[in-house]
Amino acid sequence: MFQTTNVELIDKLFIYFLVVAGIIFLLVVFFVFYYLFKYRRKQTAEEPEQIHGNEKLEYSLTAVAILITGIFTYLTIDTMRKVQDIPDNPEPFVQIIGHQWWWEAQYPETGVITANEIHIPVGKKVLVQLNSDDVIHSWWVAQLGRKMDMIPGITNYVWLYADKPGEYLGTCSEFCGAQHAGMRIRVIADEERAFNSWSQQQLEPVAQLDDPLFKKGEKLFEEKTCTNCHAINGTPFTMKVGPNLTHFASRKHFLGDLKVNNEENLRAWLHDPQNVKPGAKMPNFIFSDQEVDALVEYINNLK
Amino acid sequence: MSLFINIPEDSEQLPSLKTGQGKLLWIASVDHKQIGIMYLWLALFFFVVGGLEAMLIRAQLAIPENTLISPELYNQIFTMHGITMIFLVAMPALVGFATYFLPLMIGANEMAFPRLNAFGFWITLMGGFLMYFSFFAGGAPNAGWFNYVPLSENNYSSAPGVDYYIIGLILTGIGSISAALNFITTTLTLRSPDIKLNMVPLFVWMVFINGFLILAAFPLLNAGLFMLLIDRQFDAHFFIPSSGGSAILWQHFFWAFGHPEVYIMALPAFGIISEVVPVFSRKPIFGYKFVAVSSIAIALLAYSVWLHHMFAVGYSNTVNSFFAISSMLIGIPTGLKVINWIGTMYKGSIQLTVPMLFVVAFLIDFTIGGLSGVSFAIVPIDWQLTDTYYLVAHLHYVFVGGVIFSIFAGLYYWFPKMSGRMLSAKLGKWHFWLFVIGFNLTFLIQHILGIIGMPRRIYTYPDLPNWELMNVLSSIGAVFMFAGMVILFWNLYTTLKKPRSAPEDPWDAWTLEWHTPSPPDLKNFGEIPRVYSRRPLWDLKHPDKPDKRLN
Repeated sequence: MFQTTNVELIDKLFIYFLVVAGIIFLLVVFFVFYYLFKYRRKQTAEEPEQIHGNEKLEYSLTAVAILITGIFTYLTIDTMRKVQDIPDNPEPFVQIIGHQWWWEAQYPETGVITANEIHIPVGKKVLVQLNSDDVIHSWWVAQLGRKMDMIPGITNYVWLYADKPGEYLGTCSEFCGAQHAGMRIRVIADEERAFNSWSQQQLEPVAQLDDPLFKKGEKLFEEKTCTNCHAINGTPFTMKVGPNLTHFASRKHFLGDLKVNNEENLRAWLHDPQNVKPGAKMPNFIFSDQEVDALVEYINNLK
Repeated sequence: MSLFINIPEDSEQLPSLKTGQGKLLWIASVDHKQIGIMYLWLALFFFVVGGLEAMLIRAQLAIPENTLISPELYNQIFTMHGITMIFLVAMPALVGFATYFLPLMIGANEMAFPRLNAFGFWITLMGGFLMYFSFFAGGAPNAGWFNYVPLSENNYSSAPGVDYYIIGLILTGIGSISAALNFITTTLTLRSPDIKLNMVPLFVWMVFINGFLILAAFPLLNAGLFMLLIDRQFDAHFFIPSSGGSAILWQHFFWAFGHPEVYIMALPAFGIISEVVPVFSRKPIFGYKFVAVSSIAIALLAYSVWLHHMFAVGYSNTVNSFFAISSMLIGIPTGLKVINWIGTMYKGSIQLTVPMLFVVAFLIDFTIGGLSGVSFAIVPIDWQLTDTYYLVAHLHYVFVGGVIFSIFAGLYYWFPKMSGRMLSAKLGKWHFWLFVIGFNLTFLIQHILGIIGMPRRIYTYPDLPNWELMNVLSSIGAVFMFAGMVILFWNLYTTLKKPRSAPEDPWDAWTLEWHTPSPPDLKNFGEIPRVYSRRPLWDLKHPDKPDKRLN
């Protein structure tokens, strides 16, 4: 089965536009330079013939312009309706919520909640519900679908479609404050089986280790009030101000896709968040090195 | 019976620098020529400021993951760059030319309301200074020139920058409204008795139409600004969704002003082009009626296109279709004008003076900006490319390639009239080539950056393939533009130091302003020649083959 994707539809429209705009542009360039050389003032020039206009020419060019506009109006409306055909009672596959400056994802069917790295299955049009928790953000992964604003108080829907597995990059496209630039998107398209096993793994209960450093980290996580913002499933801590960290270590990137999720970056982040992501909402807790050791041990084992 | 009562000329002499030597006369003057020049100095001053902000932006973006400027400062700079270039450079420059030349072109000795004229200038200046004072008062506005809510509300922008933005823009808005009132009234009531409305030069015509655009657009902005001020200062909830307000109502206010604002800058710029092309092609404008009427079409359509700034907000396909059609339609009268300007060159005798060079660059670059603008009316393309560098490129092709190039053309064209001195053509050509090459180097490549996914308003970007190369090229272009501006300043400085030597009519032009000394006396016209056509001076110079009589 061969079906044109939304992105291909828009690309096609853009090509049509480029061809027509290119022809018009070349005509303008040609006539400007042709007249410039042909009618350049001669040394002993008399005043040329005083032509005041040509109404017939203007009316016919207006007619041509209206014709072109008409064609593009049809193409626009046609493509628009194909790309943005949201059913009356939308049942989203995933809800994505924009926060200053990270993404929260909830999968209503399975109950999976994750942050920043958003998984979708390959070869399937998935309906996405978009919301915002604070200011206006805009969801845009160019290879997967159109751009759509996330507006507090309003619910929007878009289709996403990935034709092959892989990682797709995108970015927040509405200015949303200090770290607008640090609000990048990574969508991971998995084959059906890989997607299902990822969902399974995300639903696993939170990791428990007997390692004393892990235990110390777990205790610090609560004592140092990390839990006022970050939820860990299966614990009493359910605050949703910051990203849910239940399976943090299973994500390859963190901080709105700004950094690779490794020990070094995590340490730097815990030591001084403002240095890593200036303007970020995470306070600087002025942890000692030992505290950071324990917290890193704890968080890095939340798989 | 005349529809309008002619306003009598002042019997007593109004204050002006030319009536005395006191320093206070600088702020007391109500002479339209003096105020016009002060508007131009204001625009030039803020052009330096806004230009330096642009250089900082290009320095920061030259390499990926740059830490030269903090995100907080970057956001203030790009916000102030936008506000400055629109409200404190493009508008004052065009208002300045109009204030200086509108009375001269219709055979009047003053504006209809000379004191309101002075008020408009001073309140614009105050608005500008107030906005810049914010840098010393806890931080400049940092929510973008579009200042979207709820980001600009107290919860997310608690620093006073946004308040300075609100008050500053209310003040400059009041200034623009008073200028518009003056342009309309002057055009209607102070024309020399010979000049009918269909005989005024096209620059006057565009400024006249523009007056109505300003009168209807700025109250929308100011109403929105007051609502936001009430939200911020008195904890109202117009724009706060969590307590019953609307997060997109502001966008409607802002763009219902903001899109007409684009034409508020473009129409007088088109007016300048419509003056310069005929003089240096030695032919009358091709299709006066079409250029004039298409301006009215633009002015009316300008009010029905604002939603194309909001296609990604998520309105229904039906709503988006309406605004897609209106936005495509507005391209037609604009495109028609380009055809008229090229038609004026046809079978002419073209002199490539510096003003004409800028017109040629305008024709090419504004066409690029206009065409890329149409791609945003094609809604699905907008869904991909809005808020990317493709849009940054588009808007700079309209504002720089369209508006600023026209202002430069007007500056070189009218400078001898205003100062009595000709700007150096040699330096002018250096300015032209550096600026135009730099401009295209900076912004042409940004179309591609946008298409490959670079969003706008980001203080830095990841090291993705080709992003650095293209951004470096873009920043190098900015250096060329900067060099061009240095040469313009050098040209202005050296020219102004020379004695006055410009003749009355250095370009052999045809409109009434060239029938006065350079610079004109305090009272513009001792005696106004009889006017029978759109080109009074052509008729005087060629009594054997005058234009068709229109009155």
